[in-house]
Amino acid sequence: MTTLSAAERERYQRHLSLEEVGVSGQEKLRAARVLVVGAGGLGSPAALYLAASGVGTLGVVDHDRVDASNLQRQVLFETASVGRSKVEAARERLLALNPCIDVHAHDLEVRAATVMDLLRGYDIVLDGTDSIPTRYIVNDACVLLRKPLVSAAIHRFEGQLMTYLPGLGPCYRCLYPEVPEGLVPNCADAGVLGVLPGVVGAMQATEAIKLIVSAGSPASGRLLVYDALELTVREFRFKRRQDCAVCGDQPTILAPTDPSTGLCDATTLRDRVRRLRPAELQVLLCAEHSHERRESATSVPVIVDVREPREFATGHLEGALNIPVAELAARLHEIPPGRLPAFICRSGARSLIACSVALRGGVAQAVNLEGGMLAWVAEVDPTLVVAAAR
Amino acid sequence: MARGSRVSISERTVVTTRVASPFRSYTDGRAIVESRGATVREALADLDRRYPGMRFRMIDEQDRIRPHIRLYVNTDAVEQLDHRIGRGDTLHLICALSGG
Repeated sequence: MTTLSAAERERYQRHLSLEEVGVSGQEKLRAARVLVVGAGGLGSPAALYLAASGVGTLGVVDHDRVDASNLQRQVLFETASVGRSKVEAARERLLALNPCIDVHAHDLEVRAATVMDLLRGYDIVLDGTDSIPTRYIVNDACVLLRKPLVSAAIHRFEGQLMTYLPGLGPCYRCLYPEVPEGLVPNCADAGVLGVLPGVVGAMQATEAIKLIVSAGSPASGRLLVYDALELTVREFRFKRRQDCAVCGDQPTILAPTDPSTGLCDATTLRDRVRRLRPAELQVLLCAEHSHERRESATSVPVIVDVREPREFATGHLEGALNIPVAELAARLHEIPPGRLPAFICRSGARSLIACSVALRGGVAQAVNLEGGMLAWVAEVDPTLVVAAAR
Repeated sequence: MARGSRVSISERTVVTTRVASPFRSYTDGRAIVESRGATVREALADLDRRYPGMRFRMIDEQDRIRPHIRLYVNTDAVEQLDHRIGRGDTLHLICALSGG
């Protein structure tokens, strides 16, 4: 005896015809509570398909407003949505698609203080946020609350997806124990094919539906890598780490915590770090010797080489300070007050971390030498010797 | 002499390398490049010669695979850089993504 109404039976007819879903599966979908974290490129198709599929309670959490640049991929929204709260616009759209469901709009930033209460009201979590710290907060909360998590991310033409099943498989931290901020470019910087999150977000919704109706094999312990340019999906197995900080044998994370990496977010890096090619930095350094620059102490850059002393000793720019990146937070006072630090390393990766550390430490602006000493040698001074990093 | 022969052989071992999206800025956008080596360590060193700075994005100063990077030879997860690679193998370079 089904509890589905006549209208529901008509709406979900194609599901009811599937042996793997059927009436009981559709009733499970109606009883399910799924939270979509991030109403962006991934969250849009995921939420739309979950709503269309009849997931009875759908939560959407985001703290942004719709921007015109979102419309290329965030199919929850329309041109008239620009400027509106994302979750409010999403709620309206999802209910228009399927009035048989409940949609909860959570207009908030996912933080350590809010995540546990937020997730407690749901059975399954889909993570499609564009923030690395949020990915870890959500993962840790899912592990601690024993909630299944379908995590996905995108970059240019590539998408990744994995599913965490409490007690049965590895978590996101087992896959990537930590992600240094600044080393992973985001879509705002690198761009993304608009349809890419459509494919990957739909995969996330598929995983959630499979879990709800107990069909098929979830991507537990499997990292799926989708390459849109080549139209390939590759699968890589990974295991639970015994030393995982949150799901390992002796976990050290007992509650979600906001990141204390000493690093700052991508927006801050973009706004407050001048990324200079060697020739541009050379101009800045040459100007140091001009009368005008000497009059204006704040614009005179100081070169801070953040490589290891061994590398520094092999060859470095004249007048450079040497503060290894690992020591920078504790030695920021060695940078003359008021001087603009120009961070340099071998290839440009450590110096970007250094910029982040410096900004967090109170430095107002910083310069990063793009490509590092290797680029400097290639473009400015081929006589300098650059030590290997290892 | 024997050691020299081994190096010579390993240098000729061509490994198909699939490059993670964030690292394609080093390879002129190419998803697949060749590297040479009998171990992951050798293949990454060869890649770094061709694409300076690329290795350091994946391997830290202590020769450890960075925590946001995963390397696979075919479907086998690479835990140590001395993981052996044979002719016809594919080395996959995978990097955590942040976009949503």
